[in-house]
Amino acid sequence: MNEFPELNADEVDRYEWQLTVRDFGLESQRRLKRATVLISRIGGVGGTVALQLTAAGIGRLILAHAGNVRLNDLNRQTLMTTQGIDHPRIESARRQLLALNPHVEIETVNENITDGNAANLVGRCDLVVSAAPLFAERLLMNREAVRQGKPLVDCSMYELEGRLTTVLPGQTPCLECLYPEPPPHWKREFPVFSAVSSSVGSLAAMEVIKVVAALGEPLAGRLLQFDLREMSFRTLPISRRPDCGSCGGVNSSSNHEL
Amino acid sequence: MELRVEYTGQLRWAIGRSEDRIELPEGATVSELLRHLAERCGEQVRFHLLNHSGHMQRSLLVAINGTGIGAGQAASIVLQHNDHVVLLPPIGGG
Repeated sequence: MNEFPELNADEVDRYEWQLTVRDFGLESQRRLKRATVLISRIGGVGGTVALQLTAAGIGRLILAHAGNVRLNDLNRQTLMTTQGIDHPRIESARRQLLALNPHVEIETVNENITDGNAANLVGRCDLVVSAAPLFAERLLMNREAVRQGKPLVDCSMYELEGRLTTVLPGQTPCLECLYPEPPPHWKREFPVFSAVSSSVGSLAAMEVIKVVAALGEPLAGRLLQFDLREMSFRTLPISRRPDCGSCGGVNSSSNHEL
Repeated sequence: MELRVEYTGQLRWAIGRSEDRIELPEGATVSELLRHLAERCGEQVRFHLLNHSGHMQRSLLVAINGTGIGAGQAASIVLQHNDHVVLLPPIGGG
């Protein structure tokens, strides 16, 4: 177990209430501490993922999101503040997260995911959370995670609906298996309550914790779809496409244990 | 035969309701269901379901009785009476 960093007394106290979760304990907590998670966009969904992973004691977060806080971000982007308007989102995020848990390392990148930075950012993490509103970014994140064999949690929402799946490259369908091409006429702006985006983000954070700590059953090969209008939740088994442009032909004997 | 068809994402709001009971001839395929809906519901719905060639939109995910299938299988899957079909166009809010 020497490969996992030790926890100091403050950390053991801080995480006391989660250390009693069944099948989760000190070794699992040390697994979290060792892990680096890349989050693509820290808006309503990704910001909640960052907040929950910070509370849970993830070791290091790489947060990628370009641009400044705008007034109309604040109905959902709960890491941002009114004082932060017109300042970079990543600055507000870093400040809020470190105020919650100074043991977490926060690296901020004032860029969205592009062809130019995806390989480098994915290469420096253990797991990717994809929470961008644009399909080009999500498909790019998926392709790069699959290429580098890194688990990816893909999150999406619209109106009162949320969806989530966990991609284990070479073992499960990837995002491109589900959606081989972007939908026509998708608009970047979408109707959203924070209560919905943060629900998706909280569920995604739980997926990260499960994959990193080998806890429970992640949404591997399953798509969670829920609609809070009716409070309906379902998981759909999904299949790989042999001709998938991202993961077709990719096979892995790895159990993706981090 | 009768099918229970559910709409999600933007499709739900383009159609204006979350589900329908749809009557189709015995032996109808997923592709035929999508063409039926496109004809019935008009252009604001059609592009969610079909591409310019009239085939299933590649970005559409369809679940039949709880299992997802992709565009490549739509033409060959024959639906059965009382099948539960969920249409899931991609969503991407973050």
